[in-house]
Amino acid sequence: MRKIAKQQDQDGAEIDLTPMLDVVFIMLIFFIVVASFIKEAGVEVNRPDDNQPDDPEDSTSILVEVASDNQIWMENRRVDIRAVRANIQRLLAEDPEAPVTIKVEKGAEAGIVVDVADAARESGVAAVNWASDR
Amino acid sequence: MGMRDQARSAAAEEGSQIDLTPMLDVVFIMLIFFIVTSSFVKEPGVELFKPQASTQEACERGTIIFAVDANGDIFYNKNKLPLDRALRTAEAAKKEAPQANIVVQVDRETPAYVVEDLIDIVRPILTAPPCISTDEEA
Repeated sequence: MRKIAKQQDQDGAEIDLTPMLDVVFIMLIFFIVVASFIKEAGVEVNRPDDNQPDDPEDSTSILVEVASDNQIWMENRRVDIRAVRANIQRLLAEDPEAPVTIKVEKGAEAGIVVDVADAARESGVAAVNWASDR
Repeated sequence: MGMRDQARSAAAEEGSQIDLTPMLDVVFIMLIFFIVTSSFVKEPGVELFKPQASTQEACERGTIIFAVDANGDIFYNKNKLPLDRALRTAEAAKKEAPQANIVVQVDRETPAYVVEDLIDIVRPILTAPPCISTDEEA
C-alpha cells in the first residue's frame, strides 16, 4: 500500500507543465498585443460652469477673445496669433496670478482656441479657462 | 558505443526534466500584470488634423476619448454619436474605469462651439479638466 502511495506521489510531481505553459504564453502574448499603450498628449483647458456668478470680464483674468472669423482680440485690439504670447506676458507681468480666459464666439475653429491656449501656457499662466460667449 | 548511447539518453532525460515551475511563476506574474494594466481604450477612429501645441503634456489617465471632426460630428469608439448621447456614453465609460479622464480630439477646423457643447454635456462626470488632444509642434 505504502509503495503505491509513494508511486502516485512521484507521478504527481512529474505533471508535464509544457502544454499549460504554451497556453499561458499565448495568453501573455495576447495581452501584450492588446494592451494599447495609448498615450494621448494635449493641453488641459478648464471649462468653468456657465452659470457661475462671476463674469470673466469683471474678474482680473486676462481676456482673449476669438471672434467668429477666427480673429483674436485682446483689449479691443486685433492681435496676431504670434503676438498673443507677448501680450499675455505683458499683462501677466502686472498680475502674475491672473488666469487667462478665452472667450470663443460661435463659428471660431478649435485650432485657433488651442493655439491661444498653447500661447497662454507658454507664457506661464496658472490656469487657462474656456468661457463661452453665450 | 554502448557507453555513448547511455550518456546521450541520460542527458536527454535530464533535459526533459527541467523544472518549469519558476518560469511558469514568472510568466503568470507577467500575464497578471498585462491583464491588469491593459485598459482597453476605445479609440474614436477618425483621422484628424490635430492642432499643434508646444506646451502639450500627457493627458493623465485620459482613456475616455471623444473626437470631433471638422464637420462637427462627434465620434466615440469608431461610431458617430449624437450630442445628447455623449453623456450616457461617457457615464458608462466612467463607470467601467472610475479613474479615467476625458480627452477630446479635435481637428484644426472643428467648430469650437461643438467642443464647448460636448464638454458642457459631459461636465457631470468630469473629475479633471478635459484634455484637448494635440500634436507635437514640428
